Amino acid sequence: MHELGRVLRLDARRTTILVAVPVLALLGVAAAWRELIPGVAYWDNTVVAVSASVRLLGPVAAALSAWVAVREHRLDYLRSLTPRSPATGPLVDLLLLGGVALLAYGLVALTIIIQTVLRAGTWELPPAGLLAGAAALALHVVLGYLAGRLIPNPLTVVAVAAATRLWDTLRCTGSSWLGLLPPAAIGQVGPFAALRPGLFADQLLWSAGLSSALVLGYVLVVSRQGRLAVPLAAAVALTAAATVRLHDYGGAAVVPAAAGYVCRDWPLTVCVHPALQGALPDLEAAATPLAARLAGTEGGFTRVFQLPGGDPVAVRAGVAWTHLRDLAPGYEQRAAREIRAGLADPDACTRPTPGRAYSALVDAWLTDEPSPAVPDAAAGRRFARWSEQRRRGWLRAHYPGYRQCALTPADFPR
Amino acid sequence: MIADVSTIVARGMGIRRSGRWLLRPAAFGIAGGVIGLAGPSGVGKSTLLATFATLRRPHVGALDVLGYDIGNATDLRSVRARIGYLPARFSWAANLTAREFVAYAAYYKRMPAASVDAVLERMELTEVASIELGLLPADVRLRAGLAATCVHEPDLVLLDEPLTGLDDQRTAELVPLIRSLAPAVLLTATDPGWCDRVLTLSRGRLAEPETVFAAALRPYSIPMPCQQARVPAHA
Repeated sequence: MHELGRVLRLDARRTTILVAVPVLALLGVAAAWRELIPGVAYWDNTVVAVSASVRLLGPVAAALSAWVAVREHRLDYLRSLTPRSPATGPLVDLLLLGGVALLAYGLVALTIIIQTVLRAGTWELPPAGLLAGAAALALHVVLGYLAGRLIPNPLTVVAVAAATRLWDTLRCTGSSWLGLLPPAAIGQVGPFAALRPGLFADQLLWSAGLSSALVLGYVLVVSRQGRLAVPLAAAVALTAAATVRLHDYGGAAVVPAAAGYVCRDWPLTVCVHPALQGALPDLEAAATPLAARLAGTEGGFTRVFQLPGGDPVAVRAGVAWTHLRDLAPGYEQRAAREIRAGLADPDACTRPTPGRAYSALVDAWLTDEPSPAVPDAAAGRRFARWSEQRRRGWLRAHYPGYRQCALTPADFPR
Repeated sequence: MIADVSTIVARGMGIRRSGRWLLRPAAFGIAGGVIGLAGPSGVGKSTLLATFATLRRPHVGALDVLGYDIGNATDLRSVRARIGYLPARFSWAANLTAREFVAYAAYYKRMPAASVDAVLERMELTEVASIELGLLPADVRLRAGLAATCVHEPDLVLLDEPLTGLDDQRTAELVPLIRSLAPAVLLTATDPGWCDRVLTLSRGRLAEPETVFAAALRPYSIPMPCQQARVPAHA
């Protein structure tokens, strides 16, 4: 081991491969950051984001590995003429390349995890997710290196980069079970959803099995050691079994997850998923004026709840629902607009009626937005001149017309 | 008949590249000593040398090196442990010191650290062992390459254009060293007249021209067994 360590250090110096670590890490962090839900610290999504960084990191690592393999062919005069196994040189290369790629991946994971810990203040990291990403990255390294080893041509590097990138990008989220093969296209995992149990474990087995099969197959061919056929068969069987299990998921990576709410109780009761707890004050501040203006109407509400899933929002029985998918800047205004949109009768307001413009005028007031133009400008001017109290009283009287998008200029008296 | 003691024995061996014969199928044997391989540029000398080094497989025929059949996996591993090969361009590690370079080779040759010091001393590299290869003059860098090639004391050394680019003085200094590397040294060179035997590769045929046979640089010879570089019997 001491000798191997010395040779690895010499190879690292000779190839200056370590300069790739920060480059890969930066790429990985950029890719993972895109998968994070703005402002939301949700561990399932954190681990998916780290794992998803492999979708960009993998092709780069594969191309790098292919390039090293093509370049290191010139060492055959020294490394192939050996009493050691003829696979020693390639295995040392793979060890070094794998170390470099996994070091970069570790930095990516560390960055994203620290970000989540700072925001969430908890530690609920599923380690299998990180390992699945690491195994997928290692698979890219093995694929790239062996391709460069078998076809020592600079074009191989380009072909490897293109092929792995296509593999990683053409599989869309939820379209098919193929999207679950590593590196998986899972997409963001929002609150009230959770990754399917066992998914990462199956992905880990798939990547590890395929990597092992490729390496063992290569060593078997170059060293002609028949005894390697047994572990090779085991690796192939493991990959096949993991493929079947991933196929059985049917492309669905996430399932609904029950979660309690955290609430703020004054002046409104506002409840959200614990991962969005930080949004409560701003959400309260944004929803309160809306609730005050709607008080006394059928759309009045005193409670706001975050709605799981993608069901349409509505205001019913004093409860307003909003999806609140992220906490990107302006989320509180978006939530208020979503609540307001839930007031309208969807059947009546999708038709192009003149009343839609007057409802839009009321909408703008409800959420403190600039008033839009209306067909009867005089009616618009009258509404603009009214006091807040008069508008609230007017809305209580004309709420059905507003909700049905059936207002007319006559509804805005002098 | 080809002598069983030959270092390299080819039986009907032919080498093709890009659709043309670099070496037409032929039977020949190359014994010990210092054998020069000459021929026009691009004729395939380097490819032939790499084939003798077992890094390429002949297109047809069989090849025995040091008594081992390179078509046999077990034999191949055994013979590779006894071959030293230095291609024309080996400066792939300009940022390694001479000692690190030789130590790197020693790992793959499964040799102990003591052998590194021994070969550095033998190649008169002890004083420059801690200098990076990229900073060494060409002849000293070649010595480092020879040290890496011979750290395991091989029985057959194959050198591709080792003296190219060196002036006469440096060449004269290195020739005795090259002659002492192994019982059998096969090298390609533009002017291999100082070798014990000279073979020429031309138009796919390997021959031993009588005109080159009497080498002018014979004084560099060291005592060696009588060489038997046989004129190939083309199949």
